[in-house]
Amino acid sequence: MSDPVRRKAQASKPAVAASAQIEDRPPFLGFGLGLRPQHYQDILDGNPDVDWFEVLSENYMVPGGRPLAMLDRIVEGYPCVMHGVSLSIASTAPIDEDYLDSLNTLAKRVHPKWISDHLCWTGVHGVNLHDLLPIPYTREALDHIVSRVHYVQERLGRRLCLENVSTYVQFDQSEMPEWEFISELTHRTGCWLLFDVNNVFVSAFNHGYDALDFLNGIPADRVIQFHLAGHSDMGNYVVDTHDHAVRGEVWDLYKAALRRFGPVSTMIERDDNIPPLADMLDELQQARALAAEVLEPKKIAAALAGSATIA
Amino acid sequence: MKFKDFQDRFQRAILKGDDEILGHIPDGPRETKRNLLGVYRDAYVLRLIEVVGNDHEMLRSYLGDDAFKEMARAYIAGQPSHHPNARWFPRGVPEFLKVNEPFSRHPVLGELASLEKALNDAFDGADAPVVRMSDLAAIPPQDWGQLSFVPHPTTVLIEAHTNVAAIWTALKAEKEPPAVTTSKEPTRIVVWRYELMSMFREMTAEEAMMWEEAAKGARFDNLCELIAFYDNAAGAPPRAAGYLKGWLEAGLLSKVVSPA
Repeated sequence: MSDPVRRKAQASKPAVAASAQIEDRPPFLGFGLGLRPQHYQDILDGNPDVDWFEVLSENYMVPGGRPLAMLDRIVEGYPCVMHGVSLSIASTAPIDEDYLDSLNTLAKRVHPKWISDHLCWTGVHGVNLHDLLPIPYTREALDHIVSRVHYVQERLGRRLCLENVSTYVQFDQSEMPEWEFISELTHRTGCWLLFDVNNVFVSAFNHGYDALDFLNGIPADRVIQFHLAGHSDMGNYVVDTHDHAVRGEVWDLYKAALRRFGPVSTMIERDDNIPPLADMLDELQQARALAAEVLEPKKIAAALAGSATIA
Repeated sequence: MKFKDFQDRFQRAILKGDDEILGHIPDGPRETKRNLLGVYRDAYVLRLIEVVGNDHEMLRSYLGDDAFKEMARAYIAGQPSHHPNARWFPRGVPEFLKVNEPFSRHPVLGELASLEKALNDAFDGADAPVVRMSDLAAIPPQDWGQLSFVPHPTTVLIEAHTNVAAIWTALKAEKEPPAVTTSKEPTRIVVWRYELMSMFREMTAEEAMMWEEAAKGARFDNLCELIAFYDNAAGAPPRAAGYLKGWLEAGLLSKVVSPA
């Protein structure tokens, strides 16, 4: 039986062309943070030195009250992007149309510079495991995900931005490395990439490959955002826990990413043991300092002024 | 193996502990495949325990960490999430506690969870205007009889047979909660949101009855008759007016409907 999503996506001409237009590339936003409720008041009271915020879409898919009231005020003062965890783009279950409607509704409120989610699946048979689950890197999986990305891009009326996830297992079935899978996906759909520096570090450590192979293996002109975060070292493996400060090895990989990708909107994610905003600002300052060290400051300034060219 | 079958097996590995998927996973360079798959298995339960804990902080502190986790594990094992937003996963917790042993032997647990759920729902429930006393001042008193009222959409009236409100209040203040007391006649607690904060207070049986009729759209003169029938007819209009004033001051109403 044919997949209705694939059929629909193939039947109509994609509204979002697969080939990348350079003028289509979202702006370089500078250095941002993940918006967390613990920091609402400090942000509104203090006008902190954060260039932009990443909003967790699901947190604001609620009828009303404080979350949406705070969001409205922060969106007024800062550029924002939307980042989701439940799109389940790689699932073989039908696309959740209600979820796409909620994304579109929220986008009307946030006016995000882009909308991102993860290259993963979250469940099948109507169940959501609320985790970012791994996929075998096969031609079959690729074809399936390509058709879903086309469909979602049509529904959202914009290119989707997809993030590489941390993985803990690999599959015998895989026919190509992750970076080749991602390259093919972005080539065929025109989607943007969110390069999660910590996730690359975590997956490379867990699977024993060189993080630089990943970094050099994906197309530089598709990367529009970096994630930085802390992980937990379990000895024989590492886990993407977002409950620590960014570790030294990840800062090193960030420097390599800056060298390869140039000025890319950078943000720090923290989801547990959330420290005061001032500590997050200090960490963000480290990212700024490293970018200034690796890139010429005038290149960053030019990118911020909107005249970025892809190195 | 087809991609669809792969996902089915991987999900079963997490939800049911089925090991079949291990046959398709190589060992890692430093760790066994079983332990690496275990990262997903553990994360699934731990994440949902956290989600339930975030919504039920008072229940967690009342039960203590270990008993709470045991309860949450039982809840998670009984019903996987069917919603893309984890915000809605814990909504079945009050009912779960009311019908499942050993929790159902302690009705205060289900009632505490119900109160927390109502507060959570009020917190991010629908927005609506709030009617103030000053809005009512523009209407001549002789016309009040014809008024009817629309509650704020976040308001909900719950019933409890334990002193759950006092227990919640003590836990919130990080004080020793009082011993559980039970009553045959229920206590009515109204929960709502005021200026972005979730609130609750108890209502007397009389006030709760008037509230329930008002929420159905009854006119104020009918509400006064109801109150008169309930107790001390002569004092009914001032009592009804007093309740109405309290609702307006608390921000419980989002609209006053005047036939004119």
